[in-house]
Amino acid sequence: MAQTSAAVLSKGPRIQIAKGLMTVLVSSIVLFALSFVAAPSSVMPSTIQSMLPFAAILAIIGLGQMLTIQQAGIDLSVPGAVSLAIVIVSHEPNGDNSKLLPAIFLAIAFAIGAGLINGYLIGFLNLNPIIATLGTNALLYGAVLGISQGIPRTTTSLLYSVCNGVTLGIPHAIYFALGALLAVVLMLRKTVAGRRFESIGASAPVARISGLRVKTHQGLAYVWAQLFYCLAGILLAGITNQPTAFMGDQYMLPSVAVVVLGGTSLLGGRGLPSATVIAALFLTQLDQFVLALGVNFAVRTLVQAAALAIGVAIYTVDWARLRSVLKELLSGQNRRVKTSLPSA
Amino acid sequence: MAQGNQNTVVMELRSISKNYSGVPALTDVSLEVKSGEVHALLGENGAGKSTLMNVASGTVAPSQGELFVHGDRYESLTPALAARLGIAIVHQHPAVMKDLTVLENLQVALPKEIFKGRSADKVGAELLERVGLRISLVQRVEDLTIAQKHLLEIAKALATSPKILVLDEPTAALGQESVALLFGLVEKEIAAGTAVIYITHRLAEVRELAQVVTVLRDGRKMATSRVSEVSDSELLSLIIGRELKSAFPAKHKRDSQAQPNLVVRELSGDGFTNVSIEAYPGQIIGISGVVGNGQSQFLKALAGQSDFTGSVEINGKASSARELNGAAALMPADRQREGVMMRMSVRENSALAALKKFKTAGLLSRGKEVDSVHATLTSLSIKAPSLEAPVSALSGGNQQKVVMARALLSDPVVILADEPTQGVDVGARSELYEILRQASKDGIPVVVASSDAKELEGLCDTVYVFSRGQVVKTLRDEENSEEAMIEAAVTSTAKSIKIEREIREQKLGNETFGDKFRRFLKGDYAPPALLTLVMIALGGYIASTSDTYLGEFNINSVLVLVSALGFVALGQTTVMMTGGIDLSTGPLAGFLVVIASFFINDDSPAVSMILGLVTMIAAAVVVGLFNSSLIRFVKFTAIAATLTTYIAIGGLSFILRPNPDGYISGDVSAFVNQSLGAIPYAFIVLVAATFGMEYLLRRSKWGWRLRAVGSNEESARRVGVPVTRTVLGAYVISSLFVFLGSVMLMVQLGVGDASQGVGYTLTSITAVVLGGTSLMGGRGTYVGTLMGAVLLTQVMNATVFLNLDQTWQYLLQAALVLIAAIVYGVARNRKARLKTA
Repeated sequence: MAQTSAAVLSKGPRIQIAKGLMTVLVSSIVLFALSFVAAPSSVMPSTIQSMLPFAAILAIIGLGQMLTIQQAGIDLSVPGAVSLAIVIVSHEPNGDNSKLLPAIFLAIAFAIGAGLINGYLIGFLNLNPIIATLGTNALLYGAVLGISQGIPRTTTSLLYSVCNGVTLGIPHAIYFALGALLAVVLMLRKTVAGRRFESIGASAPVARISGLRVKTHQGLAYVWAQLFYCLAGILLAGITNQPTAFMGDQYMLPSVAVVVLGGTSLLGGRGLPSATVIAALFLTQLDQFVLALGVNFAVRTLVQAAALAIGVAIYTVDWARLRSVLKELLSGQNRRVKTSLPSA
Repeated sequence: MAQGNQNTVVMELRSISKNYSGVPALTDVSLEVKSGEVHALLGENGAGKSTLMNVASGTVAPSQGELFVHGDRYESLTPALAARLGIAIVHQHPAVMKDLTVLENLQVALPKEIFKGRSADKVGAELLERVGLRISLVQRVEDLTIAQKHLLEIAKALATSPKILVLDEPTAALGQESVALLFGLVEKEIAAGTAVIYITHRLAEVRELAQVVTVLRDGRKMATSRVSEVSDSELLSLIIGRELKSAFPAKHKRDSQAQPNLVVRELSGDGFTNVSIEAYPGQIIGISGVVGNGQSQFLKALAGQSDFTGSVEINGKASSARELNGAAALMPADRQREGVMMRMSVRENSALAALKKFKTAGLLSRGKEVDSVHATLTSLSIKAPSLEAPVSALSGGNQQKVVMARALLSDPVVILADEPTQGVDVGARSELYEILRQASKDGIPVVVASSDAKELEGLCDTVYVFSRGQVVKTLRDEENSEEAMIEAAVTSTAKSIKIEREIREQKLGNETFGDKFRRFLKGDYAPPALLTLVMIALGGYIASTSDTYLGEFNINSVLVLVSALGFVALGQTTVMMTGGIDLSTGPLAGFLVVIASFFINDDSPAVSMILGLVTMIAAAVVVGLFNSSLIRFVKFTAIAATLTTYIAIGGLSFILRPNPDGYISGDVSAFVNQSLGAIPYAFIVLVAATFGMEYLLRRSKWGWRLRAVGSNEESARRVGVPVTRTVLGAYVISSLFVFLGSVMLMVQLGVGDASQGVGYTLTSITAVVLGGTSLMGGRGTYVGTLMGAVLLTQVMNATVFLNLDQTWQYLLQAALVLIAAIVYGVARNRKARLKTA
């Protein structure tokens, strides 16, 4: 029965670049070019060198958030999670390098615990992700204050040197971010579990019909996310000499923004890890750029909002339809009038 | 043949054609409908009956042709115009909102005039009485059986005293008693001079009810005749005389020695009962019947997707649902939703169920995957741009081949195909038949369910005819013919499976106190009642340990805090009723205070203060419109839209007030802070607003529409709710409540500070959730939100009296939210589970 007519089915290109990745990549290049022309101080090596670690941290948090958003969820427990990791690795060792490793293990244990709570509530009790992660966030902040009493402590010298070190001219945080990215890409594209995870995000009904364990994967997304927040928190603790207990707060909105900018839909679907990471770089550089232009903090926020709005509109607006409607409005007005003539 | 004055033509459809992207659904169909007559429309699935009636009721505009209603000519109708012309349609799928009560469903859909001058309860009870629906008016529609929902839909249609009544397969879901009652109603309508168009599959119903019958086939009119002048066999031949367009592969030659490779014994489950089938190697089994008679549920159960009783044996091995799930390959009927992942590539879609085969050293090998998928797809003669093209770019037939490829690649123990050729062009159909036949030859049992009897006749060896969830006929080998199948289906007198609930419904008319109490527990007002108990317990406990707790000062300061949060939360509730969320409330509250700090100062004149308030209100309205426009017109999700606004407003605040400045007038503060004893006036206003909104939510068209949109947008649109306007309104109202909250915040802060207010977003959501309002939309209360706001503030205040530190504040807040969400959620989930049981 194999007809020869369709034997020409193409295997397709080996590497494909998603629309989201393309968009954010081009935007970033334009932004850096613009920075170079309009605000050279924002692209000086020293500025870049100090900007990169923060872009890396945002990228890591964004990767975590992406995993929950691609399962049509959202994680509002980012602030609590990041803050808790910071507090654990700075308070527990209290400057003692030998206690750093146990502290990191403790932070990871807490992260897994928080992820399991979120995952159970959302995947198995079917709670709305907004409510569940809102509750968990408060829970995590309870732990933050329970451990730190709200007083910051200096990080250990070992963590400081690891996080602030530069190898081959590149800040260490970048290596961590690239490592995280590689892990996500490898998991999603190269393992059975990852491919299933991605398919469940793309369409839970199809996955269910195919016999996949939808709830388990949806729940585990929150565990993976917490591990990324934890890594980001530890890096943040090392980079900032004396981190405060509420540092996670400032990452809540950007974590969603970079995912959305990267082209991952808030309704779930395919996750775009590379685009998310580049979006983090874009957003951080946008900050630097506007800062270098000398405008104040307020304008920076407005620019961020505009970038987000445009970023979302690129994906939500049906541009082909808009074009055809516009074309019709411009050329075919007479025809429209005729067809809508009252006939009674 | 005119029969006196009564039978005048009220509607005429003339040469109606309708194409869907080039594919004709109707071709040159004309129909005359006379008053006082039942005009039956007969035809197979996909013959064009529903499309024709959608044209008649205004939901679909014809590509060609014209309509005459009461003698006036129209090119097309809209639902609103059709309603004005006295055309009412009972859809095959009831347009009811599950979160609204029975009465509210009537009120939101029907014109005001029907309820004029009399109590709504009375009118509602009368309407239900008419269709013999014995249920409480205050019952939520979610708790109704499918039959009851259909009766409710019929009650809605009859309420408008239509001139032309369209019934689209009204008896498909009804039990025997209800059918008799419905026929009585139709006869009454006829006597009153209404024209009735009756779509059906069942010849018996045509005989019993109709005077005139029109048969459609493949979108064309075959004949119109008086029922008395045509025989059953003539009608049957008109329905089924479809030309055989696709070629079928040769059938299996039975081997008398063979043992069956699929044996299903007395399988019962949701929607089907006591089904026994068997298949021999090389045979294809057909499941026939009118759509919605349990065929799909049966296949899903065979695929292990739902629980069943009875046994399934494949190649002699008994399998449980758990074992079947994933091992059996199900090709679902709803290809768009359950069949393919639209935005994923052809390769990813095909490989989904077979990923484990492509592993090399733990990781997926792209080469293996591509080769394997490519080979299978090529053998299926798929036409696709490439393996990496998104499935959405493929035609229906090729999408189905992708589903088929997924099934074949997974090495299934059985292939279950539900409507495998629906929406598939003729050429691809024959290929799909070949593929199924080949799979069967290879020894995999194949079961095909289809509403196209011709297809089953050509493709299958043994066919089981389903009616109302039971096998009413088994057709083996030579017996297998389209005529036999259709005859079995349309002459079936099988009764619906009596569900326990349906028996229970009988006594719901007069509820006992116990019933009412149970309904209260499941209802919207259980959460606020629960919160009140918690509040009293907590308050009582702290009061016993502290003298100052119930003092005027403490009560006053708590209630002042409640006021600001309460107003913002009321706004948030409104938005959540529509199924949305407004993240921008917090920053907006802060922004409005910043605006106020420019106008409402100690030395400003009264004019300036008024101007300030007007500016604040205007800003709030603009923000509300901006949010909702992004959502409705630019198709942002509610989160993305209000997150954008959240960030932008924060920026605007800092532009206006880089540093805290602009002290708020002391007189104004004193005015706002006035109290009646310990109770601030502001709190009294809040309570009044809460109850006012609650009243509107329950008793006004606005409230019903708001919840209808949140409950089911599509149904809301069908009953005539202006969805976009309702959503726009909800976000504007939310912003206006934020304005009221910002007045309280302004007094508390006393200065324009851009960094304040942000926290109200999450706190307001918390209060709403505590109050039991669902984030899914459609249900909730304003009273609950108020209680939530009070409890939240009370708990924060309590930590002071109990000497608990900040840690506890967070932990208690978390405990409140999570416990509330779990308790409410579990209660609702249990209800859902009961319904499917």
